[in-house]
Amino acid sequence: MSVYLVCSTSGGGLPIFSRKKGNSETLPFPIIGSLNGVHMFGKSFGIELLETLTDDYVVAWKEFEESIVIIGIASGCSVDVLNDLLKEVFSTIVLIVGIKELETQRNIERLKRELRVCSPVIDRLLDALDCGDSNNKFPSDIVGFVETILCSENHLIQIVLESFTECLDSMYSCILVCGKIAVATESWWSLHPTEIRLLSLLATSENTNESKDIPVFLPYKSPTVAFRFVVCTLIPEVQICCLCGATPVLSEIEHSVMQCFKNSTDILSAAVQCVPRNFPTTCILDGSILGHLLVNTTTKKYMMSKCPQMASKKTTSSSHRLDILRTFFYRAVINELIPSENAEANAAENNHEEKSEHVGIETYWCSEYHKCHALRVDDNVLCVLYNSSVPTHALKLITQRTIKQLISDKQVCW
Amino acid sequence: MESQRLLGSAPTASKTGEQNISDEEWTEEEESSYSSYCSDSDSTIPEWEPYVDDFTGELLYIECHPFVVQNNKEVKVKPSEEPLTRNKVRHSTRGKFLKLLRRRESKRRSKKNVKSTDVNETNTSKVKFQDFQEGEEKEVMLEIDSENRHNLSSDKSLAESLLGLIVSTLSDGNRVMIAGFSYESKAKQERNIKIGDWLKSINNIGVSVHNLDDILQKFINRTDVLLKLQRVAGIEVTKDPPINELNIESEFVKELLNKKPYDEQSVMQCLCEFSIGIIYINTEKLSESNQDNEDITYCFPKPMQKNILCNSRGMFITLNHLLEDVTKSKPRIFSLKHNGHLAHIVTTNIDKNSLLLMLPDEKASKQEALLINNQLLTFLNFAYESIDKCFTSEHNLCQINHFFMRFFTKILSNESWITAEQFASSQNVDATEKNLFQFEGVMCAASTLCLPDSAQMQIDDALSELEASDYRDWNEEPLDCQRLFTILGSALFHSGYLLASHFIHEDLVDVYCFCKIQGLFRLSKTEPVKSLVLWKEVFPHSCNKEKNTRVKIPSGRRYLLVVESMKDLLAVIMEAGGCTEPPEGNSGPDAFYVEEAQATLAHIQELGLGELCDRLLAIGPHAQVARPLPPTGRNKGDFMSLGFSKGGVGTVKDSSSIISKKSEVTSILKKRLSDQNFVAPSSSSNSLQDDSFDGQSEGSGSHSEISDDSRQNSKRRSKYDSNEDESETDEYGEGSQMSVSSFDISEMRQCILNETEDYRPVQLTSGCEKNLFHFVQLDSAKGIMLCPSECQETSLTYDFILNNFRRCCLKIHVLFQNTLRFKNMPAQDIAKSVMNKSLIAIKEHGILFQCPYLDEKDNKKSKITYWVLGRLFYMPLPKEIYVCYQEGVPQNSVELAFKMCMASLY
Repeated sequence: MSVYLVCSTSGGGLPIFSRKKGNSETLPFPIIGSLNGVHMFGKSFGIELLETLTDDYVVAWKEFEESIVIIGIASGCSVDVLNDLLKEVFSTIVLIVGIKELETQRNIERLKRELRVCSPVIDRLLDALDCGDSNNKFPSDIVGFVETILCSENHLIQIVLESFTECLDSMYSCILVCGKIAVATESWWSLHPTEIRLLSLLATSENTNESKDIPVFLPYKSPTVAFRFVVCTLIPEVQICCLCGATPVLSEIEHSVMQCFKNSTDILSAAVQCVPRNFPTTCILDGSILGHLLVNTTTKKYMMSKCPQMASKKTTSSSHRLDILRTFFYRAVINELIPSENAEANAAENNHEEKSEHVGIETYWCSEYHKCHALRVDDNVLCVLYNSSVPTHALKLITQRTIKQLISDKQVCW
Repeated sequence: MESQRLLGSAPTASKTGEQNISDEEWTEEEESSYSSYCSDSDSTIPEWEPYVDDFTGELLYIECHPFVVQNNKEVKVKPSEEPLTRNKVRHSTRGKFLKLLRRRESKRRSKKNVKSTDVNETNTSKVKFQDFQEGEEKEVMLEIDSENRHNLSSDKSLAESLLGLIVSTLSDGNRVMIAGFSYESKAKQERNIKIGDWLKSINNIGVSVHNLDDILQKFINRTDVLLKLQRVAGIEVTKDPPINELNIESEFVKELLNKKPYDEQSVMQCLCEFSIGIIYINTEKLSESNQDNEDITYCFPKPMQKNILCNSRGMFITLNHLLEDVTKSKPRIFSLKHNGHLAHIVTTNIDKNSLLLMLPDEKASKQEALLINNQLLTFLNFAYESIDKCFTSEHNLCQINHFFMRFFTKILSNESWITAEQFASSQNVDATEKNLFQFEGVMCAASTLCLPDSAQMQIDDALSELEASDYRDWNEEPLDCQRLFTILGSALFHSGYLLASHFIHEDLVDVYCFCKIQGLFRLSKTEPVKSLVLWKEVFPHSCNKEKNTRVKIPSGRRYLLVVESMKDLLAVIMEAGGCTEPPEGNSGPDAFYVEEAQATLAHIQELGLGELCDRLLAIGPHAQVARPLPPTGRNKGDFMSLGFSKGGVGTVKDSSSIISKKSEVTSILKKRLSDQNFVAPSSSSNSLQDDSFDGQSEGSGSHSEISDDSRQNSKRRSKYDSNEDESETDEYGEGSQMSVSSFDISEMRQCILNETEDYRPVQLTSGCEKNLFHFVQLDSAKGIMLCPSECQETSLTYDFILNNFRRCCLKIHVLFQNTLRFKNMPAQDIAKSVMNKSLIAIKEHGILFQCPYLDEKDNKKSKITYWVLGRLFYMPLPKEIYVCYQEGVPQNSVELAFKMCMASLY
């Protein structure tokens, strides 16, 4: 139930930052020092320490750009997820300070100061680990994937957003509802999933009422040249984000936002109503479904919902449903049903016909208290949490029907 | 355990006399177990005696059948008369016990019982069995050598003297093969007799290696005999009679025996280049003044300076302590990249010591490395009492070095057991090649071959008798000394498959790991072993005082005795001390007990169980497991043929029952045995159903007392009642407790073999077609595992699927460990536990995969979809099943598990 994250310079072992989550004490410096020292020691023997498993915990070391080492210690989650998290943490650092700053590392104190901005984002990243923390406010976060919301008003919002981008002269913009992407421009989806995820988190971290104008480096698309990341709040819980160059200035952007969205307030407030459910109320799912997770494997976006039944509003008991779904996704789905980027790259390099891989199509697990089932249809994977009373052979049928139902709705802009 | 004294069986003097008289009669008629006393005592010594280690008393003796090197098929030369009768008398090592025991031929041994009781029966059945061998059949009239007829010398076999033929056995160990011609033999001129031919019959009487001499004896006075020979297809035999090449030990055997000096330096150097190693560190000795690496108790490969694990050990010692402080849980495995290669280091902490084992990821994934480490620990604890003692004792050093050398070369060479020399010299050992995933091989559970009830009972019976070591009736004078050993348990293996175990489960796992890691199973699978004797002091789990605090364990020493012959391996753990004579120093194997174990093994082989197992292994995988095939258009014809094949099975059944009825009529046993005691083979035809029903009510493997099967009753009767039933014993045989002696072994052999003739394993999956690719039933509580036998045929698609199956099994196994861990967690710890609560009750996990066919190039576009499914049962004892089947008919995991259970009961 605890996660530690330690970042230090790889050459000198100076601590840059250290975060923790859960009801545990902060790591004292000697321990941080030793953890880092062990990694450094190995290098002199040509050894790169990667990870360790203990009975309950996983520990991972990762060195980036030969300049910083990030160490993660977490309980309950799998080591693959922790490794992905470390990569995301590094991307966050790049997002704020850029890759050059890290490579040269002239002034550690300055680096530390600059990184204070991203502390809330890093803390939020830790929420994506399925370490079984019941106090987690964001059990629907998934490492490496972008959360979306399927409001029935999405197609209307999309039209407004298109007109906005025209007047702003920036192709990169999106609308967030409660931090989840409702709609985004095509260019926005062309960003790396990690970038999209980090920008969403950055937009929702801390004072969401004011507009933000933060210089960001895109870790994958542009790690050396900074963009301006502008966030404006339309109505509470709804924000518009965009990436732009030096012009226009913030006040101008705020003005165009006002212009474009002043007539859509009703639509937006209707969209906010969608929130705990995350998909349209018009979409009635099978009664045995306790929660589901719809993932697009190419754009790495997902929608997660824990209370498909409007009638039963037992929100208290259903908070752990997302935990179960997420753990199921991490342990059973992500490695088997979602082709990894490396494998795809390899397959592309090699002969296309030589691709003799095992492709996972369907997976499930049965626990004493529930059943999880996941099915892949083309680019989409739907993971569903069922009652344990549903017969195992019926799972496929219901999942198949549900995925069709969710995807066919054109209004939600999936 | 009660201290049992070997008192004389208190027969009266007159009775003894009677017995002596009847002895002679039986020698004539039945060759009773009382046949030969050994007169020339203490003069011959067993052939393994010189190999006993003077200091430890350990022994590993392997004698192989010579085999021809030119053709790789192992053509065995006939075993020169069974070794047991030759060494009737052992030089006794110690104890009054042996001197007092009157030596006799081992009671199990009654080889000459194997007379061909019924010509027709043997004939028909033999041909039936070997119907898969095809070739040209020839008939040859051969003159019997009249000069040699009455001039039989002991060093020549009957066949050689009479026919001028040197015979041997074919690869199945049963059929007679022409191995060569004696000098000046008339047969040599006969063009139709070729070396390598299968001698099928003499004067139309079916010949096997067991009845050859008896048959020849019958025709000793004829002038000529008609031989029927068949060319065995596919076996090319050299012109040189293989008898010329004597006692060739394969490289592997030499390696096992540590006979061959190898260049340790160069092998070590080779090993140092890989990311492998094992070190044992005493962390207490770790200090600043540590100059000569005093903390390293043991390290492999040497020298320390080249061992990456030694050099970087500080890292792991630090982490071990650090992480335990931070996380309050023990580190298990470290992963790192060394020179660009991923490697895993498994750590085991024993008090203040740490054992680190490093394996490259290409050869063992993280999970595999952990499981291999488990096997290794089990082995070391069993063989050397504790890890600490294993590495601290100077004396073990050489043995352990040799062991690890084999251990690592085996892993680096993809489990192929190449010798050190081959390893050092061959550049083509591709140690970077990714190994196939292993699952069954790295589990601490013995893979089991299930036998029919009757066969199982015979084995259990034989093992029980060995374990009982009740020698009261062996001598006339009362014994007033204690026996030397108590037998704690025994287990029988065939080709590495467990047939029966009388060990407690932990000990079974110990013995299994020992035999597996030492390569004894590999030996029985691949080498023509004539005789193997292994003797070693061991420390079974059940006798470990630290691990079993609730039971009082007698102070004493335990020894593992392994005897092996052909493919059968018998492992026995014996205890000295406790209720027996206290142990004396490092005693070597005791000839008497070795003989007993060998006799038991020989008895089991005589019952045809080796043959039975071979047959089961041959049909095994195909009966239950299907091959992935590209989808073909199915039509009604398939269903028709399905119906026919069912009918076909039926007719086979009928014919077998006809045969057995015939044998009933002509059986000579009938004259001797009361109807009640008669083992009617005819009951075997329907015993398949009976047995399976019995099995259902009895639970696995155990034979309950309640059974309405008349056959079993009759056997039991004969076993236990014979002493009470005076009249019967007087009339029909001696009143010993021997169950076997009152039966004709060949009859029983026939019965056991007949019963399985038309055996078809249960189809495990639902649906009318076989769509199961593989299954594993892992019974970790019992230490046994059930899976289809290895298949010789390989197909790219199948291997590809199996590899993925094993990968998933490892993953699912880990997932299930969460559930088991939570179930076993004390209630007060649950709140404190940091386990992921979503994983605590998972009992089933399935994944559906799709992959292309790899076998046919033009068929690449067609895909195959299959399920990999794992299921955990934790009541009453944890058990896991894993299956891999083609998608189509939905399968229910509980039903599959149930059927698998039934199949395991036969």
